[in-house]
Amino acid sequence: MVAKCCGFDFSGNESFKTTECTMPLSTQSQADDEKYVLVASLDNARNLSNILKAITFKDHAIFNATPNGLKVTVEDSKCLQANAFIQAEIFQEYTIKEDVVGFQVNLTVLLDCLSIFGGSTLPGVSTALRMCYRGYGYPLTLFLEEGGVVTVCKINTQEPEEPIDFEFCSSNVINKVILQSESLKEPFSELDMSSEVLQITMSPSQPYFRLSTFGNSGNAHYDFPKDSDMMELFRCTKTQTNRYKMSLMKPSTKALALSCKVSVRTDSRGFLSLQYLVRNDDGQICFVEYYCCPDEEVE
Amino acid sequence: MKCVLEGNGVKVFGKAVQALSRIGEDLWLDPMVKGLALRSVNAAHSAYACFLFSPMFFQHYSLGSGSEPARETIKCKLVIKSVLPLFRCLTAIERNVERCQITISTPTDRVVIQFFCKYGITKTYSLRFQESEALQAEFASHLCPNVLKAPARLLSDMVLHFPVSLEEITLSATPLRFTLRNYHEAGNDHMKTMYTEMSLHPDEFDFFQVGADSDVTFCLKELRGFLSFAESHCLPVSVHFAAAGKPVCFSMEDMVLEATVLLATLMDSENTGPSQPVGPPVPTSPRCADVAALPVVSHEGNSRESQNAPAVMELIPSSQGSPMINPPALRHLLSTADDPHGPDVPDEASAMATPASTMICSLLFRALASEQDDDGCDVSLPVLACYSDTEDEMEGDYTRSPSLLISQRRLNLPSPGVNTWDSARKRLF
Repeated sequence: MVAKCCGFDFSGNESFKTTECTMPLSTQSQADDEKYVLVASLDNARNLSNILKAITFKDHAIFNATPNGLKVTVEDSKCLQANAFIQAEIFQEYTIKEDVVGFQVNLTVLLDCLSIFGGSTLPGVSTALRMCYRGYGYPLTLFLEEGGVVTVCKINTQEPEEPIDFEFCSSNVINKVILQSESLKEPFSELDMSSEVLQITMSPSQPYFRLSTFGNSGNAHYDFPKDSDMMELFRCTKTQTNRYKMSLMKPSTKALALSCKVSVRTDSRGFLSLQYLVRNDDGQICFVEYYCCPDEEVE
Repeated sequence: MKCVLEGNGVKVFGKAVQALSRIGEDLWLDPMVKGLALRSVNAAHSAYACFLFSPMFFQHYSLGSGSEPARETIKCKLVIKSVLPLFRCLTAIERNVERCQITISTPTDRVVIQFFCKYGITKTYSLRFQESEALQAEFASHLCPNVLKAPARLLSDMVLHFPVSLEEITLSATPLRFTLRNYHEAGNDHMKTMYTEMSLHPDEFDFFQVGADSDVTFCLKELRGFLSFAESHCLPVSVHFAAAGKPVCFSMEDMVLEATVLLATLMDSENTGPSQPVGPPVPTSPRCADVAALPVVSHEGNSRESQNAPAVMELIPSSQGSPMINPPALRHLLSTADDPHGPDVPDEASAMATPASTMICSLLFRALASEQDDDGCDVSLPVLACYSDTEDEMEGDYTRSPSLLISQRRLNLPSPGVNTWDSARKRLF
């Protein structure tokens, strides 16, 4: 995995992606444009990097681009899968020449490139991104610009693995709640890490929605009543108690921190689906979802 | 036992738990008719703290819980590490927690702490406890000849000037003055320490009674949590103490709670004279282990151990890792500083007749080096710290004493390298 950075341009020309630009790199990329099967541009690279950070618990990510947008998948030990969805509308430019474009890259390297200008949080200062991919066997090319300085990064790609299909479908969902993330952020950040599992209980009766840990010093339960102000939707049909490995649940805390709402669903097998609604810097909506296998079934 | 706390009470309770966590590893919960006592003692039994919350502090307080009649109340011991995380973030508690209920359930050996938060959210923690005898320290504060009372703020502010890593502090009191200084003893490596000393005039105290001059040395670390609690509560702190070796007691109280910290003091806190031979440092485990242990009565503790403080103890190195200076030279310097007429056992407390205002004095070893060369201390003292602001003033002296010089006003040292009192004070604070 190599990210090769080259090319610094100090022309001071701010508008990087317009065709009137006189920068040599941009001119060069104009000619190459025809060769790319995927071109996606963002005025603010943070709109991509922030959401990718919510799923970075493993190095490798599978990119799957369709005309609808970009889906990035990260998996762990066949038990956990995280997906980030960035719709085509989020991008300032989104061109795809095939029905499906897929590749695998090192997510850590990609994030490092996206924040290559240091990730300044000054208002009005942002890194512009132009992500280009020529197809199978070619590296993923990133053109990043901030304040007139351009960096080109080429990240080696790999054959994309097939993401696991958790076969989680809405028709199989037994219990579903939608909560405002604010109410879950504190419990999740306080979770007793000495507990091997996080137990989730969902029920049409007391305790309605409960998170439990069993640590060295004792047990902890977080109860959310069905009529809480924080509970936007409560649809539980049957009492279910499932346990999930704490190590698999912890990564989802990052997604929770970014999100404003979260939907928690369990199906008849006890599989867990967490869906997070994330608003980016420009107020646009993206989604992150986590799927997790239960550790064991407890009735 | 079942009790309910509301609103700010939860925060106060949490602060008490935080203060107790600075003392020992275990937390004793002792529900009594007169209230709920939270106690802790350190491993060496040299520090003990007790927070007693009267029934008035709670929205609800009952011994026995529901089905069980109030029989002999259970005393439980919890591991502080399991309780502290519940009260770690007090601002979050203030924001979210509406009510807190604590129940001791005998059949299951659990203490259940429930937080009823905003939006109907409930957090329930079920912690294992060990049944235990009550822990209680005996201390006859009415027998202490010396009693002081000061706003917590005053004591906190004084303690602020001492490095956070400082373990032991010496409190000296005479009818005319109150002094805090860091504890030091003659030893090979005691040149690595920065010495700080603070004095207050009796007028600064709400109550000042010193029946017998005394110097007591105790562990400061264990006091900080208590002072922080007292300060947040804006309550005055009372200090009861006697001679070295007897415990010192810090306490505060209001209508609904009483807090006490008992600290053991070193048996012998007198500084040695300049002729004291410097022996090899005695390796010690926690310093406070060597102090006279508190008369703590408890099921498992040994009590009434009295040990003599070793002649030399490990000292805390300064952050700059200053090189060592021959101790006799220091002894000499200090004594000369205090008494220009010749070396004497320095007792800084009596050496300074200060004006009636707070005086902060930090002595660095080289302070009087220029005076000492004639006295036969031909040790070439290395530079300890360079004071860049005054390099101009010190140019003349640079080769001899290019070090940070701070002096007490009354010394009137003629050396041109000596900074004025005011500039030194500004430099430090």
